[in-house]
Amino acid sequence: MSDLSVYETVEKETKQYIIVKIGGEHYGIDISYIDNIVRLTKITRVPKSPSYYRGVINLRGEVVPVMSLRRRMGLEDDDFTDKSRIIILKLENAGLVGVIVDEVKEVLTLSEDDIEEPSSTLRSKNSFISGVGSNGDELISIFEISSIIGESDAS
Amino acid sequence: MDVSQYLDIFIDETSEHIQSLSDNIMALEQEPENKDVVNEIFRAAHSLKGMAGTMGFKRMQHLTHDMENVFQEVRNDNVKVNSSLIDILFRCLDAIEAYLDQVKATSNEGEEDNEILIKQLNDYLNSAEGGDTPAEAPAAAPAEAEAAPAQSGSDDKAAFKKIKMEPELVEELKRCSNLFGFTVHINKECLLKAARAFLVFKAVEDFGEIKAYDPSSQDIEDEKFEFDFSFVLCADKENTDLNAIIESIKSVSEIDSVEAEAISADIYEKKEEATVEPAAEAAPTAAPAAPAAPAAPAASAPAPAPKAAAKNTKPAAKPVTSRTIRVDIEKLDALMNQVSELIIAKNSLASQSNSDANGIDPNTLHENIEYLERITTNLHESVMKVRMVPIESVVNKFPRMIRDLSRKLNKPMDLVMTGEDTELDRTVVDQIGDPLQHLLRNSADHGIESKEERKAAGKPETGNIYLNAFQEGNNVIIEVGDDGGGINTDRVKEKAIERGIVTAEEAENLSQKEIIDFLFMPSFSMAKQITDISGRGVGLDVVKSNIEALGGDVEVKSTLGEGSKFTVRLPLTLAIIQALMVEVRDEKYAIALASIMNIESIPVSDIKYVESKEVIHLRGQVIPLIRLDKILDFGPKETTDEEEDTMTVVVCKKGDTLGGLIVDNLIGQLEIVIKSLGKLDNNKLISGATILGDGEIAMILDVNAVI
Repeated sequence: MSDLSVYETVEKETKQYIIVKIGGEHYGIDISYIDNIVRLTKITRVPKSPSYYRGVINLRGEVVPVMSLRRRMGLEDDDFTDKSRIIILKLENAGLVGVIVDEVKEVLTLSEDDIEEPSSTLRSKNSFISGVGSNGDELISIFEISSIIGESDAS
Repeated sequence: MDVSQYLDIFIDETSEHIQSLSDNIMALEQEPENKDVVNEIFRAAHSLKGMAGTMGFKRMQHLTHDMENVFQEVRNDNVKVNSSLIDILFRCLDAIEAYLDQVKATSNEGEEDNEILIKQLNDYLNSAEGGDTPAEAPAAAPAEAEAAPAQSGSDDKAAFKKIKMEPELVEELKRCSNLFGFTVHINKECLLKAARAFLVFKAVEDFGEIKAYDPSSQDIEDEKFEFDFSFVLCADKENTDLNAIIESIKSVSEIDSVEAEAISADIYEKKEEATVEPAAEAAPTAAPAAPAAPAAPAASAPAPAPKAAAKNTKPAAKPVTSRTIRVDIEKLDALMNQVSELIIAKNSLASQSNSDANGIDPNTLHENIEYLERITTNLHESVMKVRMVPIESVVNKFPRMIRDLSRKLNKPMDLVMTGEDTELDRTVVDQIGDPLQHLLRNSADHGIESKEERKAAGKPETGNIYLNAFQEGNNVIIEVGDDGGGINTDRVKEKAIERGIVTAEEAENLSQKEIIDFLFMPSFSMAKQITDISGRGVGLDVVKSNIEALGGDVEVKSTLGEGSKFTVRLPLTLAIIQALMVEVRDEKYAIALASIMNIESIPVSDIKYVESKEVIHLRGQVIPLIRLDKILDFGPKETTDEEEDTMTVVVCKKGDTLGGLIVDNLIGQLEIVIKSLGKLDNNKLISGATILGDGEIAMILDVNAVI
């Protein structure tokens, strides 16, 4: 019960994030965007689509495009393992989009104060990061979902 | 009474009535003496009025009521139909449609009174009643026109002097010795106008009795007035101080100004006479004020109940779009039959699985599955048919449009339509209206030449525009064409060179079809001058993209001097199609069966080259080959030791063009459900995806884009 009272006091501006690992780094995805997390299934290639879209999957009868975050961020290509997951993001006007991550770690509650604006050096043109938070020693980059999904010239 | 639940029905039926009115008024213009048509119009106008009244749309009711009055007189042979009446009627129809649009958008009829239209209607009635002397019409018109602005209060004379009164009321006023007229101007920012008016009346009533209102007290209560209202007060006491009354009115907040004057009842009497005069002279027996007078009380009488409803819906005004569809009962019966068959099929499968404890007989199982398959196919067909609506609902507004254009452009032209009963999926029908309208406007504006030019070319003066719709296989074809001048390809070519799209040398080698295709490029306008009908360059490219978005395509054929023809090809259905499943390398693709002509097995040695493009010569036709693996971004094929010596070619058609798609393997025919690709939907080659029986996804090739 004492925990509860503590939460109530910090409740002001906290958000829950799902912490994922991509290429050794930790990233946070705002949980309110997340519809679902599924294991890797067969991804069907869609010809003539941007290269960072790996294709589409069959999510219980729906066709959902799947994006490789590694390709999107210009990292080396995906290395699918047992731990790889597809996080299905639900967007208001773009429907469902899946993103491939190397590993899903945990759910973390961060308050606004824990997240800093990325410094200007970090904030390059093709940045998909809206802030950097910390969890103990680890730094967590918070994804800006709209810029990941939105059309950009990064292709 | 809450009528909001009937709003959908109201919208549907009103559009129907408007359409029927429009059709019949057109017919009336052709044969003004046809009583059947007049009766039909009268009925439609009457139904419109009734429905608007029930829903509490007073303005709409008012307008339709006056239209009905006119038709009544036409029916009784008191009024002759001429083109100016037809024009007025069409404008009334437009106004009713505007009301309807407003209702659709906000569940409310809006604030437009269309007083001018109503006046025109009544004027027409009055002038016609007053004998058929044409000179009478202009005489009456200015008099009435003068009254119109006066009502809005922006006149040099105080508005209270223009209050319309019944003769009895004037008599009554004469008995009162202390008459005052008031016009109160309320602050334009005022939100609760009716409340202010009420306070004013309350304050004034201390001094006497209010005898007359303008607008009516009911309208004032309903806030149905601009920012001023007028009334006539009969003071109780002799020598009442006018200034005291003005002061008490001004004590109400948000009142800008008050015009007031001691008056006598005579001014109203005079005014009454003034409007009576012109018409009365011509026809002493007619009662000109009569049509206008009953209209007002009729409109305000049913107000209280619907008013409440209107107020309720106001804050929650959501756009109401018609999501309903009317279905022929026969189609529903067919559907019902198939569903019962489905139940039988299910039962026989269920009983089979219950009875055969020692394994299911594969033969009967197979039979049952085949049976089930047949039923589902039929079911699909029936459901599709339920979704199908005749294109009539879209195209029947076109005759009216062409009539208007014909007058506006001063080019006589006729629209002939065939196949209005051709059916298309509801979603397609909803969206095909704009492109077709555009093509027709195009024909009317650019296609048909002017009267003089036609005469010089030895053609009949009246231009012909046609719209033919018919079904062809799994497509519906809509042809829009004209017998006008046709497309001058030389001029298009010049324009294309001028705009830097092609060089002069390139232009020389272009085929006629390629040149015409320039017209579909964005902002490529051929009009010498921009009119408000077409020529802004946002035209054919939008038509093309709209039609392509529906899975169709558009083609043009044109002969200089003889006219041009646009052929719009649309798929019958959208959601489920029959497709041929093929394999390209290790991936599966679906090709819509409707676009496939035939499938050929062709020796590799038969490939010939035309302009270094691969083609095959098949039964007298040269068909360009398309290597699917190349355009679908596959890597180069790992060269196996033995090159296959035959290849499978799926010959597809897009309009008149053919193309042979080289695939690696044929899988078979399948009924597929088209799914959207979500974020990846704007793909050029792929029109969607489908989920196969084993959960795998196959892409659906957009043949139109490939060929």
